[in-house]
Amino acid sequence: MTGKTIVVTSGKGGVGKTTATANLGAALAMRGHRVVVIDTDIGLRNLDVIMGLENRIVYDLVNVIEGKCRVRQAMIKDKQGLELYLIPAAQTRDKDSIEPSQVKELCAQLEQEYDYILIDCPAGIEQGFRNATAAAQEAIVVTTPEVAAIRDADRVIGLLEASGLHRPRLIINRISSDMVRRGEMMSQEDVEQLLAIELLGLVPVDERTVSAANRGIPVVHDSRSSAGAAFIHIAARIDGEEVPVNQIMPRSGMFNRLRDMVGIKGRAYSHA
Amino acid sequence: MRELLQWLLGLAYKDRQSSSEIAKQRVRLVLIQDRVELAPDVMQQMKEEILEVVSRYMVVEDDFIEFEVRRLEELIMLVSNIEIKDASMLTPAAAR
Repeated sequence: MTGKTIVVTSGKGGVGKTTATANLGAALAMRGHRVVVIDTDIGLRNLDVIMGLENRIVYDLVNVIEGKCRVRQAMIKDKQGLELYLIPAAQTRDKDSIEPSQVKELCAQLEQEYDYILIDCPAGIEQGFRNATAAAQEAIVVTTPEVAAIRDADRVIGLLEASGLHRPRLIINRISSDMVRRGEMMSQEDVEQLLAIELLGLVPVDERTVSAANRGIPVVHDSRSSAGAAFIHIAARIDGEEVPVNQIMPRSGMFNRLRDMVGIKGRAYSHA
Repeated sequence: MRELLQWLLGLAYKDRQSSSEIAKQRVRLVLIQDRVELAPDVMQQMKEEILEVVSRYMVVEDDFIEFEVRRLEELIMLVSNIEIKDASMLTPAAAR
């Protein structure tokens, strides 16, 4: 079996890289795949918290690379019982503790046994970025429809392409259809046109993402979340399914409000 | 009086422009600037090519060419200075 290593990156911090990594990992596992997510943000780990696994950490990525433990010992199984494993970042070390070639070697080893290896890249374009991108065969760039985030995404796209990761794909996070309609937020088309890379998906702004992070359960497990639905949709595209890019629909409509009241399970987006 | 009117008109126009439109403009300009500054090898190649084209028509100082990305509000300009040593290759307009 040969798996695929994908890096999730953004340049700017706080646009939802870690949330995207956790949710795509979970969504791919829900599709029946064996998935490993790796937090490479050494010194500032977060992925464990988003996945609710912060109390189960014994060994971390640096321990694995330094040979202090076996890979299996550092892999924490997902709480929801999926075939999803987390390799957490070390919290008390710095980014120079590992080298790109070492991450590459680890991923090559994991690819023998797992279908997808998702790497959560730290913000910035320094050592941590190089550590995270070296092993990947594909790259996903996460941005929000904001000036600063798009600017940094553009920079990262250039760096990815220069390092041989051609054709990175884009996720536009926290898009609000209401604001786009009012002309107060750049639209999907605007962002696509500016960055000129393939769009992998749109994730609507959704309060449930915050609640899910509070609980430490990825939002894909919340069947009433439009953001969760979007991540499931994106995972299908990553998996090679020919589905059109999801369109963001407002949740403020009469039907949605009613549906929320009655609690009918449904997806708050439709296909294009 | 006329200036005041223009200022008021400008104010009204700015107000009408949506914030997403402003954001788009800003990203567009910032990206042009970033991309130009970040591609030194491409810039070098362009310099050489431009110099080559210009020297077909006039004698230029071939180690003096300046490029500068200048921003003037809504415009981003590539400004180039090339020193001309001899323009005799160019036919004067009167002789045509």
